[in-house]
Amino acid sequence: MASMDAISRNLMLDSLKEYAKRRIPYDLIRELDEKNEFPAEILKEMYRHDVLGLHLLMVPAEYGGVSGGTFDIYRVCELLARIDLGIATGVFATFLGTDPLNVGGTEEQKEKWLKRIASENLLVAYGATEADAGSDLVNLRTRAEHVVKNGKIVGYNLTGNKQWISNGGVADLYTILALAPGGPSWFLVERDMEGFSPNKHEDKHGIRLSNTAGLSLDNVYVPAENLIGMEEGKGLLQAQAVFGYTRVMVAAFGLGAGEEALEQAIRYSQQRIQGGGPLSEKQGYTHKLIVPNYVRMEGARAYIEYTSQRLDSGEHGLQTEGAIAKYGASEWGNKAADDAIQALGGYGYTKDFPVEKIKRDIKICCIYEGTSEVLEMTIYRGRWQEHLKSRGRYYLDMADKLDQVHAEEPKAGAHAAALALRALAAVLEECRVQKLTRHQHVTFKLGKLICAAETAAIFSTAAAAKKYSETVRFDREGWQAMARVFAREAALNTALEGLALVLGAAEQAGNLADAVNIEAVQAEQKGMIADMDLAAAKLKQTFKAK
Amino acid sequence: MNIVVLVKQVPDSTEVKINPETGHLIRAGVPSIINPYDHFALQAALELKAKHDFKVTLVSMGPPQAKSVVQMGMALGADEGILLSDMAFAGSDTWSTSYALAKAIRKIGKVDLILAGMQAIDGDTAQTGPGVAQQLGMPQVTFCEKVEVDGRRVIARKQIDGGYEVLEARPPVLLTMIMTKDYTPRYPSFLAVNASLKKPFHVWGAADVGAEEQYLGLKGSPTQVSKIYPPPQREKAAMFSGSGQESVARILQIMRQEHFIEE
Repeated sequence: MASMDAISRNLMLDSLKEYAKRRIPYDLIRELDEKNEFPAEILKEMYRHDVLGLHLLMVPAEYGGVSGGTFDIYRVCELLARIDLGIATGVFATFLGTDPLNVGGTEEQKEKWLKRIASENLLVAYGATEADAGSDLVNLRTRAEHVVKNGKIVGYNLTGNKQWISNGGVADLYTILALAPGGPSWFLVERDMEGFSPNKHEDKHGIRLSNTAGLSLDNVYVPAENLIGMEEGKGLLQAQAVFGYTRVMVAAFGLGAGEEALEQAIRYSQQRIQGGGPLSEKQGYTHKLIVPNYVRMEGARAYIEYTSQRLDSGEHGLQTEGAIAKYGASEWGNKAADDAIQALGGYGYTKDFPVEKIKRDIKICCIYEGTSEVLEMTIYRGRWQEHLKSRGRYYLDMADKLDQVHAEEPKAGAHAAALALRALAAVLEECRVQKLTRHQHVTFKLGKLICAAETAAIFSTAAAAKKYSETVRFDREGWQAMARVFAREAALNTALEGLALVLGAAEQAGNLADAVNIEAVQAEQKGMIADMDLAAAKLKQTFKAK
Repeated sequence: MNIVVLVKQVPDSTEVKINPETGHLIRAGVPSIINPYDHFALQAALELKAKHDFKVTLVSMGPPQAKSVVQMGMALGADEGILLSDMAFAGSDTWSTSYALAKAIRKIGKVDLILAGMQAIDGDTAQTGPGVAQQLGMPQVTFCEKVEVDGRRVIARKQIDGGYEVLEARPPVLLTMIMTKDYTPRYPSFLAVNASLKKPFHVWGAADVGAEEQYLGLKGSPTQVSKIYPPPQREKAAMFSGSGQESVARILQIMRQEHFIEE
């Protein structure tokens, strides 16, 4: 679906923000977090059509929804994560649970079920994971057996156990992945079906406002018309088809929670006087705990927007892009939240300040919807193919484009980003020549380097654009300084870590040090501290102490 | 009855910063909101609409993105929206803005009641609403906390020092509204935002409303803003504890030291 107009989108965001301000204060969140309690009433209220109708974002207008595009959903997910990642997960579970229908449902199924989800405000859960089938769904154990009457398949009996299902204990409707005779398939299971029962609510490290439970299916009879797509064996393809899109949502969670933690630290740092002045004036503080983190989050934002816009323009799949968006936003967000605790010192370590909870919550982004390690593999696999197919030109061509960007706008870090991409191309090529990808560690590490280098390219391109996205809260000078800081770091890490990676695995590194252009990468570091000073000043200006 | 509500998009003042060197407002990254007083005026109009089935038309003036406050009002229930947007309006002061708004209201035709916020939180002048009434030759009641309509009578409760007075007017009349507990500003649901896109919305320029350029914009404005600057920071106050007598003695001592009073 294409995204909405910016005005409509921002009105919806304002309404959500106001609702949260009124109905979900931090004291309540803290209490629910402590009690490990899912705020069913709040979720139901947020779904009410006259209050927000939040779930309608996922439902096309023809079925009673508002047809949100990926960009719209990213913005709402980011805001939800700033409010509470547990509540965000509860909403996301409905989005995710609805996805198999959106992707694979027949017209009649969409007509019936999407309309019901929209009009009855159903909470939905997505039931894929099992004890032995997490990222690897091939080991799926839940079975769907034919129920035959008069020689015709009239339904299925579902038997098995699901694990760690968000909204598992509270949903009205479940999309369940089960192994039918024709292969893995999605089924629509209603809560009150006989033989279906949710298990106990898990006691989790974070996102404690979200309900997570296992599901037991004991010979649950499901009519044949509840087989999504009315064709067996399409389940894994349907699950795969939405990864680009669903991972953008989790990426938005990492972004929202990570930036929220940092913004709280930035406001705090202007009031906390130590050593004769506010912490916000001390480079030892800002350039370690704040600036590098915020810069990475803005890089993640640029990449999320780039992927969202491509999905909204009708491109399909984008699994590698979705993986890069989620991996970067989650890992950097997790680090940002950790540093935000450090930035608040003793206060940050107490539950009186939300950063402590954000840190516990955000860790889930590195785990659900594909662990960071699975994503490293996904990213590597996707781009390794491109590297081979293009005979090593993939990143070199991308770097050439960055050179053009740099020629038109030299202040956006595009030169450093191009250095990162060329270093990456050299590292990939050396890995190919020396067959180093036989080491799993090498492949995963390549996934990490690819994420940073590509994000640098996208961030610099966005920062060089004449017009910025509605989401950029800094002026041109500030955002470009951030893009430069990001690109320099990416260039340095790609060259040094890439070189170290090859040296660690190979007999000899040949002339890789020249190929990654260490000298140029080092020379590019000039001006880093001045840019970090500038970024720190802009952050202080934008997130003033309250 | 036809009601017009005047709404303005303003920077969220809780987020506005002033560059201490240049004295300019830093607008980058500052969110825009509906002027809070206008939000109450809008709510008052919508409650009248719900009760009497009146038609509510929103009128705003500003850059194209000011459509946002008009669309928000339509999402909340207003029937129609008009945005005055034209480079010719840029830089208009309150007189010039009142002139343009009055021209737009004339073009709308029969209007019985105009509601406006008491003032906008960016300029704080409280002049535009009364200016419109003046331009239209219409009676006005300012600082209203509640408005009701009974037949052809508009009944307004006006806040005054230490209490209120109840005034009655025959339409057409313009009221400016304060923020009061009688109205709770609402925010639209996602569905309502979506539906508002189907409501009639018009962008009018100076020529559309027959406004003469000589009265518009910076050039047509009789007042000019020479400089905006933040109020100087107050020096830190000293706090004294102890008995009243001791504290008074210390205050006197300081006042003598600083030569505020003589020995």
